[in-house]
Amino acid sequence: MSQVPVFPILALLTVLIVAPALPGIANRTKSALTGRRGAPVLQLYWDLAKLWRKGVVYSRTTTFIFRLGPIVLLAATLLAAALLPLDGRRALLSFPGDLVAFAGLLGLGRFVMALAAMDTGSSFEGMGASREVTVASFAEPALFLCFTVLVLATGQVDLAGMYGLPLSAAWPLAAPSLVLAAGSLFIVTLAETCRVPVDDPLTHLELTMIHEVMVLDHSGPDLALILYAGALKMTLFAALVAGVLLPRASQPPGLAMAALLLGLAVVAVAIGVVESVMSRLRLNRVPQLLIAASALAGFALILLLR
Amino acid sequence: MTLLAVGLSLVLVAGVLARLLEQRPGAADRIFRWGTLAGCLTGMAGTISFFGLPEAASSAAGLGAAYGLDPLSAWFTAVFLGVGGTIAVYGTHYMARERPERRVGSAHLLLAVLLIALTGVVTARTIVAFLAAWEVMAIAAWLLVIFDREHADVRRAGLVYLILTHLSTIALFGMFAAWGGGTGAGTFAELAAASAQDRIPVALVAMLGLIGFGIKAGVVPGHIWLPGAHAAAPSHISALLSGVMLKVGIYGLLRMVTLLGPLPVWWGWLVLLLGLLTAVMGVLWALAQHDLKRLLAYHSVENIGIILLGLGLGVLGSAYHQPAVALLGMTGALLHTVNHSLFKSLLFFGAGAVQRVAGTREIDRLGGLARMMPRTAGAFLIASLAIVGLPPLNGFISEWLIFRGLLEAGGTTGALRMASVAAAGLALAGALALACFTKLHGVLFLGSPRAVPALGGGAERGLVAPQLVLAAVCIAIGGLPFLVLPAAVRVASGVLHGVGAAADVTAVAGAATTISLAVLALLVLGLIVWRLRAVSRAAEMVRAEVTWSGAFPTTTSRVQYTASSYAASLLSVFGPLSGSQQVIGPMGLQVHVADPVLDRIAQPTWGRVREAALKLRRIQTGRIVWYLVYVISALLGLLLYLWLGSV
Repeated sequence: MSQVPVFPILALLTVLIVAPALPGIANRTKSALTGRRGAPVLQLYWDLAKLWRKGVVYSRTTTFIFRLGPIVLLAATLLAAALLPLDGRRALLSFPGDLVAFAGLLGLGRFVMALAAMDTGSSFEGMGASREVTVASFAEPALFLCFTVLVLATGQVDLAGMYGLPLSAAWPLAAPSLVLAAGSLFIVTLAETCRVPVDDPLTHLELTMIHEVMVLDHSGPDLALILYAGALKMTLFAALVAGVLLPRASQPPGLAMAALLLGLAVVAVAIGVVESVMSRLRLNRVPQLLIAASALAGFALILLLR
Repeated sequence: MTLLAVGLSLVLVAGVLARLLEQRPGAADRIFRWGTLAGCLTGMAGTISFFGLPEAASSAAGLGAAYGLDPLSAWFTAVFLGVGGTIAVYGTHYMARERPERRVGSAHLLLAVLLIALTGVVTARTIVAFLAAWEVMAIAAWLLVIFDREHADVRRAGLVYLILTHLSTIALFGMFAAWGGGTGAGTFAELAAASAQDRIPVALVAMLGLIGFGIKAGVVPGHIWLPGAHAAAPSHISALLSGVMLKVGIYGLLRMVTLLGPLPVWWGWLVLLLGLLTAVMGVLWALAQHDLKRLLAYHSVENIGIILLGLGLGVLGSAYHQPAVALLGMTGALLHTVNHSLFKSLLFFGAGAVQRVAGTREIDRLGGLARMMPRTAGAFLIASLAIVGLPPLNGFISEWLIFRGLLEAGGTTGALRMASVAAAGLALAGALALACFTKLHGVLFLGSPRAVPALGGGAERGLVAPQLVLAAVCIAIGGLPFLVLPAAVRVASGVLHGVGAAADVTAVAGAATTISLAVLALLVLGLIVWRLRAVSRAAEMVRAEVTWSGAFPTTTSRVQYTASSYAASLLSVFGPLSGSQQVIGPMGLQVHVADPVLDRIAQPTWGRVREAALKLRRIQTGRIVWYLVYVISALLGLLLYLWLGSV
């Protein structure tokens, strides 16, 4: 506590700045692979700036919860970012079991957004909220199984420890488990960030949407907050995946930062590749995919518990 | 102890006066409200001194030392009386509308008796004192459950409760007989001494205790009495049953762990697995409900599962000599007991207010109540966030402790590492709870009103203040966990026979300040985002419109997603396990719910038992000669037995 945690702060600021680029990279990859020019990588920055200057339309049905939703969502996602050891060593806030708080804060965001959707009294948005919590119900156990794999592999129960030096030391001993866990985490990432094959951010029909339809009535700066929080959440999950495959704790700070950015970009490209090579699953198949992700992490656990 | 006795006497006097002054309702209500509140606060004051002292301290007084306090008793007494006080205040307002058709005074007297009996159970120091208080509690609760006894379903719920509570009592009689029978032990101290000398069948005692206390707490499959009884009782009694009486089962298990000494490892694993099963099935069944109070009741089942998970982890941790794991599990269980008392009572208060304002508990007929009753909606929101275990509320603190204990178990060596897998199950329960409470709050309070025109107009009066008090306590424990964690850790350490070095105790309580810091950070971040949002140009460019509905003009509030449709996609994944059946009819989706244990297992089994008993009835011929034959053959049989024994 004696010195200011310079690198964690720098890493957090970097992540906050680059976050809107990640969906851009994923979308650009997709358009490149499917032979289209596609939107610029930095499109979301322009969208956010445009939305921020616009006015808002509120439904007469809504209450204060509708206005509170985006604010709580962003605040919770920002705090979740502060719990991750983004520079590879330390997090701004760290305590034993902080991974529960990480999942809890994302859950808080989901809770208020689902309520905001119900607040409009729209059947579309009720449908979106219902689907969102359904998907999350199966993603959450997979996420915790992945965390448990990391706990067993490293013997640490805080995110900074799990992603720190003990992880580098665990790789030679537990490589198969860690690869499986990273695969499982990647599927969870696809679900949590509403990408193909779970959800399609580019779909046009409300009836086929999950996340998009949940935020249908938000407009202007509120929508900007939601879009930014979504991009940040994607970045955080990409950092979780990249952190397993590319432990950075033993590298010098500058190199660790570069490795983080590279890792984020690679995960975003991977998301884009997945979106190009497969179509989205039927809604009632999505739980099966996520249960498969749990099974992957479960196998990883069994390998460790032998 | 003296303060506690004074407080309970006050509660009793208030109850008796409420009954006697039936003819003057205003005075009776005021006397009961403030008398009970004062009594509960006095009693709580009597327990506070036990949280600062080392765990060995205890005092016994009155009634030949049949009742006494130690940190574990004090912990539960404080919760019971604290929540009980708010329930009494709420109850007087809630029941006032039932006059003059009903004898409200009797309900108040029974409530006072029940509170005293509950306190008696958790302070008893002898077997007889314990069982006596236990039985008074069971009967008083039954009389309160069947308060609306002219309805057939209320009587049925009361009957199921009565059967189950006596199954529980029988198991406890068996437990004490197996425990003290061989040694003639009558007090808890003698029971502990008998256990220390290895003269008792530990496995049998532990199993009977688990059955007896498990039924009372609502552990699956012993939960079958719980939804019916909670839905049948008046709302403040539901709060008392769920928030307070279920915890008696948890107390019993904890007391048994304390007195029995080191328990076999398999018992710890069994409790852990039962906890997991109870948590996941409880929330899954809750999701399917469309009766507000039944939904909340099933959620109590889930929370009892979470408490049991922590309790099992505590036992396992001490069996495998991992004090940190044991302390985390046990502290989590103790704190979740308190937290659940707070937010579940709060939720039932909200349910009662909704019932008074809207006149129904059918979730799918309600909607948009936040405009009519904003303060209840706000308090209900806080309780919902808390019960789902989200930061920054109190439910998060206790679930975090249990999660952390499970994960730390993964960091140890040997078989205990397997316990870490349970974290995924707890995560599943948490995510399902999120689905359940976004459904409940969203459908009840948000959107536009559905079928039922709300009665509104002052129906909420007097029901709000107790809700605000409980909500404030939920927020306080969530934001400032360092206020309660040290005391919880000390009580937990006492339950586990002083396990854990001072370092472990500090480690458990230590992260609490960081959490407070995180909560502060969340508030500050929220304020910053809010300010940024307020200075954007949009702040001046607000337009009010109808909800966007795919370019169709908005038709009717009936197109809104209902509770049934909200839960349908999740429930269909779980199929028959969810206990629900979805039927799409011409007028929309209908979900039929049944309790898989009560309706598919217990009832059919009972039917078969009854058939077998009917066959046995043939021996009842009604002719005297046959009965003489039975009596004489029984006598001869006994003589034969004696003779065989003497040879």
